Amino acid sequence: MDFFERLKQAPLPVVVDFWAPWCGPCRAIDPVLKKLGAQYAGRVEVWKVNADEQPDLLRSLRIYGIPTLVVFKDGQEVARRTGAASPDALATLFEAALSGQKPAQVGPAPWERLLRMVAGTALIILAFQNNTPWFALLLGLLGLGVAFSAVYDRCPIYKAITERLKKPVP
Amino acid sequence: MFKVNEANWDRIARALLGIVLLYLGFGGVLAGTLGIVVGVLGAILLITGLVGFCPLYTLFKFSTKK
Repeated sequence: MDFFERLKQAPLPVVVDFWAPWCGPCRAIDPVLKKLGAQYAGRVEVWKVNADEQPDLLRSLRIYGIPTLVVFKDGQEVARRTGAASPDALATLFEAALSGQKPAQVGPAPWERLLRMVAGTALIILAFQNNTPWFALLLGLLGLGVAFSAVYDRCPIYKAITERLKKPVP
Repeated sequence: MFKVNEANWDRIARALLGIVLLYLGFGGVLAGTLGIVVGVLGAILLITGLVGFCPLYTLFKFSTKK
């Protein structure tokens, strides 16, 4: 049956995982998806679509990278996410499937980013005006830290490091 | 980490006031002990504003966040 036909007839919200056997990140999120699928069993369905077998479908959905998870409720797309993600981020997709609402934006609110940016910049300026070397250094580092906290969740290096740290030691 | 107990306006006001006091204290406007006191006060305000958690509020079970 056609994918969209099946989607229309699906009684539950669906999280569709577009994956491929050769794709490492897809394999990485697979166990998490299985676990979440079990956790949300009876409330959310998980479908797997092999991207290599259905290139036309991917094109019609404008999916240009895998893994991509697309959340459908009542046949309508609610949310999508491309790339491997933390279990928490994946769980928000399942919540989105249940509620039919786009998942809330994670990370600081825009005004909070701005506030941290301004405070960080102010501290750095202050550091340059201070003529006690150790204190100026302290202020400067603090300022850098505060300014960075405004954008930390957008920084790929930070993400890579924290994910590495979170991984359990074998 | 901590439960946020400051409303957004509270946090913004603290952060801005904190920056001003920091400048007054450590930017060379106020000298001597007064400067240090004002500067430290500014630092405390700035940090509590950025974090959104005020330890003093918890002592009095007070919160500006609804």
